[in-house]
Amino acid sequence: MLNAIIPLLLDSLASAALIFFAAVGLTLVFSVLRVLNVAHGSLYSIGGYVAASICLFIASRQLNPYLSFAALLFSAVFVAAIFGPLIERSLVRWTYGKSEPVQILVTFGLFLILEDLQRMIFGVQSFYEDAPMRLLGTLTIGGVVYLNYQILLIGMALLVVIGLRLLINHTRLGRLITAVVTDREMAQSIGIDTNRIFILAFSLGVFLAALGGALATPTSGIAPGLGADTMVLAFAVAAIGGLGQIEGAAVASLIVGVARVLAIYLVPSLDAVAPYAAMLVVLLIRPYGLFGSMTARRI
Amino acid sequence: MAFKGISIVVARCLSSLELLFGLHRGLSQANLRLVADGLAGALAIGVAAATPAAAQEKPGSLGLGIFTFTSGPAAAYGMPGKNAADLIIEEINAKGGIEGVPVRATYVDEAQGAQGVIAEYRRLAADAQNQVMVAALSSANCLALAPLAEQLEVPTVGWNCDTHQLLIDGKRKYVFRPNGNTVPEFIAYAIYLLDRKPDVKTVAIINPDYAFGHDAAKIFTAALKALKPDVEIVAELYPKLGSPNYQTEISRLATARPDVVFSNLWGADLENFVRQAAPRGIFTSSQVILALGETVLQRVPLPDGVIVGVLGDGWWMSPDAKANPETAKFAERYKARFGEYPVFPSIKMANTLIYVKAAYKAAMQKNGGKWPTRAELADAMKGSKVATLTGTAQTRADNDGLVDQIVGVTVKTSGQQFPVIGDMVRYKGESLMPQAGQDPFAWISTLKPEFAKSLPKPGSYK
Amino acid sequence: MRTIFATLAVLILAVLPVAAPWLQFVLTLAIAKGFAALGVAVLLRAGLISIGHAMFFAASAYGVAFLARAGIHDFGLLLILSVLAGALVGAVAGSFLVRYRAIFFAMLNLAVSMVFYALCAKLYSVTGGTDGMPVPVPAVFGIVFAEPVFKNVLFYLSLGLMVLVGVSVQRYLNSPLGHALSAVHTNEIRLEYLGIPVWAVLLIAYVISAALAGLGGAIAGFAIGRVVPDFAFWTASGHLVLIAVLGGIGGVPGAFIGALFLELLHSAAVTVTDSWNLIVGITLIVVIMFMPQGVYGLFARREVSSL
Repeated sequence: MLNAIIPLLLDSLASAALIFFAAVGLTLVFSVLRVLNVAHGSLYSIGGYVAASICLFIASRQLNPYLSFAALLFSAVFVAAIFGPLIERSLVRWTYGKSEPVQILVTFGLFLILEDLQRMIFGVQSFYEDAPMRLLGTLTIGGVVYLNYQILLIGMALLVVIGLRLLINHTRLGRLITAVVTDREMAQSIGIDTNRIFILAFSLGVFLAALGGALATPTSGIAPGLGADTMVLAFAVAAIGGLGQIEGAAVASLIVGVARVLAIYLVPSLDAVAPYAAMLVVLLIRPYGLFGSMTARRI
Repeated sequence: MAFKGISIVVARCLSSLELLFGLHRGLSQANLRLVADGLAGALAIGVAAATPAAAQEKPGSLGLGIFTFTSGPAAAYGMPGKNAADLIIEEINAKGGIEGVPVRATYVDEAQGAQGVIAEYRRLAADAQNQVMVAALSSANCLALAPLAEQLEVPTVGWNCDTHQLLIDGKRKYVFRPNGNTVPEFIAYAIYLLDRKPDVKTVAIINPDYAFGHDAAKIFTAALKALKPDVEIVAELYPKLGSPNYQTEISRLATARPDVVFSNLWGADLENFVRQAAPRGIFTSSQVILALGETVLQRVPLPDGVIVGVLGDGWWMSPDAKANPETAKFAERYKARFGEYPVFPSIKMANTLIYVKAAYKAAMQKNGGKWPTRAELADAMKGSKVATLTGTAQTRADNDGLVDQIVGVTVKTSGQQFPVIGDMVRYKGESLMPQAGQDPFAWISTLKPEFAKSLPKPGSYK
Repeated sequence: MRTIFATLAVLILAVLPVAAPWLQFVLTLAIAKGFAALGVAVLLRAGLISIGHAMFFAASAYGVAFLARAGIHDFGLLLILSVLAGALVGAVAGSFLVRYRAIFFAMLNLAVSMVFYALCAKLYSVTGGTDGMPVPVPAVFGIVFAEPVFKNVLFYLSLGLMVLVGVSVQRYLNSPLGHALSAVHTNEIRLEYLGIPVWAVLLIAYVISAALAGLGGAIAGFAIGRVVPDFAFWTASGHLVLIAVLGGIGGVPGAFIGALFLELLHSAAVTVTDSWNLIVGITLIVVIMFMPQGVYGLFARREVSSL
């Protein structure tokens, strides 16, 4: 019995970690900017493409392979530094205070643009670079071989949850963000530079998306269409956890991860249905998500 | 994505205008007079467009619609096909074309989905210059296009349409498959496996979630059960086509601890699966069968002893292929141009174009040197027997192809940096095919262990 | 003036395929998408954005395929039953979805449609999985046409339906029920104080919009000859909203103009570039930012000035 449960648990955690990285940036951006960024999935896949490109470069120049770990992190920072301010300044800013249809459509337009840009820059072939995964080796639990990299991902996801909480509760920037989230007008009137907060928060969201894509590359291929698939999964997680709830996203990732893994073990024909079915069940019971409220303002 | 597909169809009103004017030129005097009659004339053009004119004079160029995946995860399999087509068409045109007519290919990306593919097919078929469609790679698209080919009466040659459902009713007039189908392809693996590992008890299957994956699993399972009734299928997984991550599936396979893992994943999916499964010990704990494994030999490091094959006879290093100077030349030119040797999708495409070329030759011989119509061309394909780069493709009365099946295991050699196929067997195409019109599963269930004994053994093809 | 303009437009549409036969398929699909976009536009009137309407589009198309498999071969019957199927799915989903507003409405629609999509894609033995299901050529009023002829018949029937349904929807939007939609958008609470059951107003709108999407899906299914799960993927829903917004949500013709505009733009684009999504994305953003009335707004304004 134990032999069956341990792999199930580990698989669920590993799968939840990947899902969490895809979703956390989306929910963070929504909590601060109150904009649902439909292009989030594209930023995730761009992060993956950049990371894979850099890792392939490292491999082709036969540099120290451990550099590829730095490359994963660097590519996320790189994507965030370029796309974060650019998108917030040019497009997202324009939608503040506009209705949801407008916000969704503008970011949907951005999604379409980014999908084609990726094709132009990275081509249409599948990308694959597994150096970081191979470097870390494997371990055997309950008779099943796991990648140490999968365990590392679980740790990274936990770090991100704790890190974001610390950032928000215990730093000056975090308090400013909280102030803006709680009452935008009031924050502005007491002299908080909300524009700067918005740029920072949006870039942080882009960073998390790109980081998710970068961390996923060593164990999965990247190809056109990944952005669209990631997007809808991120939606599901954010909706289950409650839009704007970081811990909510973590719990929701676990739920989706467990649902998917259980499906693969027990009813493999329904594996792709599981995440959405879980979302539907949760939303039918709690339409604003597990941790969400009608206004979805709390962070 | 789907809607992009629909839209692609749409498009090209520009080209339809060209079509209109092109037809003016092609119409006879009588029809031209009709044109002057206004609406009636316009209607005639509409009809003329729907039923391509019987052009008995040699056209300026011969249009081919070639359908393959040129983007997305499936492009890893589709591009080698396109590369081979480029190369072969170049070769044909360098020698003056097919019967003196230069060939011009229009490529259609199947990644746009069934709707877009259907739309593109219609658009290409509406142009009378496009006489033949080489379609398609995905069996889903093949099944979607087949009724269309019959309705529009366009000879359509499946270069990679392996699903046995395609020609099962035996009524197709315009759809051809100069390939084996899924039945012989996957029976071959069952027989080879039992020859190599007679004590197999448990099997796990991981196939892509569409007709090809499901059909292959059904055929492979049915053949195994017929030849060795105590075999048990302990897990059946069907991940979505194009899945990037197989970690959970790999855990599931590992916990099932099967003697054999069978997979007909392909394209980037197969590369992803191999890269993810190898470090997690799947290849050491189970005998793995990768039905389309030859396509990744040059790309991912496959361990020794994996059962792989080429879904037909299209292995460029097979004894027959090596004996054919054309094939050797093709392989070297391919390597020089694209940086790797042809994989079996390349060979399938090349063989298909050779098949089309042969059909033109036969059709023109039959009608006294005149350029054939679409119908005459289809007629020439029926029952034909064509020498290909790697063997022969014989077309039966039901338009299905008889092609030998090569299966083997991966081995390292000093000759190449990548593993090659060793311990090979070459099953005769007709020996693994049910008769035309016979239900394949009824036929498989009649197979007895004696049947397998009568076939050549692993290692016999040298 | 307005009527003349509309009549002229429909006549041009009717003649186009005669001149350029290839356009017939294109236009049939444009009209099909126009129906679905009109459905989305009806809800947009109430300020509700659905990123899930491709589900009804797909539900009807699958309805046709299933009914045909069950032995029904009459075009009219297939069309009516499948649209009813779309409406029924709409009534079930709508009965709880219309309780939500704003982003939650959008997300719940997405959730439901993705469950539908995943089921269509995964239930291989029922729906054929990602291979989809064939939609055979039906008999029209008892006559079985050859495939090319049927496609002509389908086009002209769709064109007729476009006018008929378009006029009906216009009437609906001009009725108190339709005006109540805009009122929900402006001030829902005031509407409730007036004693108007907002829930019922929205449910009716939702069912109508689902039926419209279903009608589009059924036509698309007939035109393409096959229905695949991609019909219901979320990007397809996104494109429906996009068409509605491009056309301008103001009037019924907007949805169809949006669909035609998009298809024609595409035809121009495909010959020169692969980057179709890029063009649509930029167009969408430009239209939203600078032409809130949509492309239809251009026509409407010109019409005003010509008066």
